[in-house]
Amino acid sequence: MRLFQFLMIFLIGLLILEGVKYGAGFSDYLIPPLNEITTMIFKKWRNFLMPSLNTLLVAIGGHFLAIVLAAIVAFTARSGSVLSNIVKTAAYNLQAYPVVAIAPLVFIFLGDGLTSRLLIATIICYFPLLLNFLGVFSEPVLDVEHFFKQTGRLDSIMEIKIRVFENLEKIVTVITGSATLAMVGTIVAEFLAATMGIGYVIRKALYQNNLAAILSCLLYIGLCSSLYLLGLEWLGKVIKRRLIA
Amino acid sequence: MEISAQNISFGYREAEYPLFEKISFRISGPGFYSLFGFSGCGKSTLARIIAGFLEPAAGSLSITGIKNILLSYNTERLPGWFSVGEHLAQVVSPRSSRGELDYFISEFGLSNYVHKKFFRLSMGQKNRANLIRYLVQDFDMLICDEVLANVDEPSRNHILAVIKENFGKDRVLFYISHNVEEVCLFSKKIFVVPASDVTRGRLVEIEGLDATKKHKEDHGNEKTLQTTILKVLKAASSAHKQEGES
Repeated sequence: MRLFQFLMIFLIGLLILEGVKYGAGFSDYLIPPLNEITTMIFKKWRNFLMPSLNTLLVAIGGHFLAIVLAAIVAFTARSGSVLSNIVKTAAYNLQAYPVVAIAPLVFIFLGDGLTSRLLIATIICYFPLLLNFLGVFSEPVLDVEHFFKQTGRLDSIMEIKIRVFENLEKIVTVITGSATLAMVGTIVAEFLAATMGIGYVIRKALYQNNLAAILSCLLYIGLCSSLYLLGLEWLGKVIKRRLIA
Repeated sequence: MEISAQNISFGYREAEYPLFEKISFRISGPGFYSLFGFSGCGKSTLARIIAGFLEPAAGSLSITGIKNILLSYNTERLPGWFSVGEHLAQVVSPRSSRGELDYFISEFGLSNYVHKKFFRLSMGQKNRANLIRYLVQDFDMLICDEVLANVDEPSRNHILAVIKENFGKDRVLFYISHNVEEVCLFSKKIFVVPASDVTRGRLVEIEGLDATKKHKEDHGNEKTLQTTILKVLKAASSAHKQEGES
């Protein structure tokens, strides 16, 4: 469904673009004709699919890293200690900062390889995840925890298990939502300095004023990120079904 | 086994008036005690003070011969990733046995539902499952705050009789309920919190019928029961009336 919706939106966008072109009398140089775009999409698919998959893999890696990191930080910060309060305050303040602005620094220090792309993808989707995990991990579920607390059975693992289970829907939603951010982070990194991935292909096409290539990139990025989101949603449903059934 | 509260005062920070001002009561020896009062009079707060979840602002609460106090309330939930049976089997304390657990499951009418997840049970079944897990813990005093609120009356009477039979001799059971009849029927003593903005002084203590399973079936107690019910209702509404009159 998500895939179909994306394809429909892409097609409508393409038709509007062609409509504007013919309505305003723009040249083929500015907006290429439909057949040129479809030829680019179908005949040169390898030029776009491979970099898109490359970007997707980096985004998945960065996303996974951000999930693990956010879970660890939220776990350690859930208690009412001074350190946890510092972490919470820092997280709330830092998330207001446009972290993408520090991407050039990452490239300066780490070069234009995989590490930089991975790190930027992680940074971009880390804060929404951290804020959500902090909220979930530090909010007691009194009606469930009460018994375990009284009978001395409420250790850290049980506490997290209860809170995660009770907020499963919220967690799945934020993980799925942050997946798009991971894609954005990776593409931004590739725009800036990387020499691989779909962002790099778009950058090259931009320098050549090749709108057909840019539109092809958009289609393949959309397909890849829709597939990733579909995968995550499916995984969320499987987990929920197994736990709740 | 004794709990003695002397001049306890308590109020919530955001409230205009304190809930209790210098209230006193005394629970002495094992048995089935009840706390009765109309909604909002502070029964649950008092239960939380006894269980140690809330600190009184003034006064003293001395507890002797009672080590483990457990407080159970009716909106508690079992973890959702287990079936009810799996959870109950996991939380049986070393002092209790699997046989004891099975006995309560059977007596409380849950045998056919233990394979289900908690959220699939009816409200009454949820109440019963929650109560069972407390009964198989190590406790000297169990405070039951409306734990059977959603259970039908015949089942509730049976459950209370079963609890009394098993724990009434050597533990303190402190039952909070809105059901005046069951409170009067089963309790050794009923503490009545009057309906008032601020509860002051000594809580009214009324002797209950202290019925067991056997006595419950004996209809000869009907007249005494009605008298006790009237006494409790009068005590619960007395402060309210006085305020209205003044």
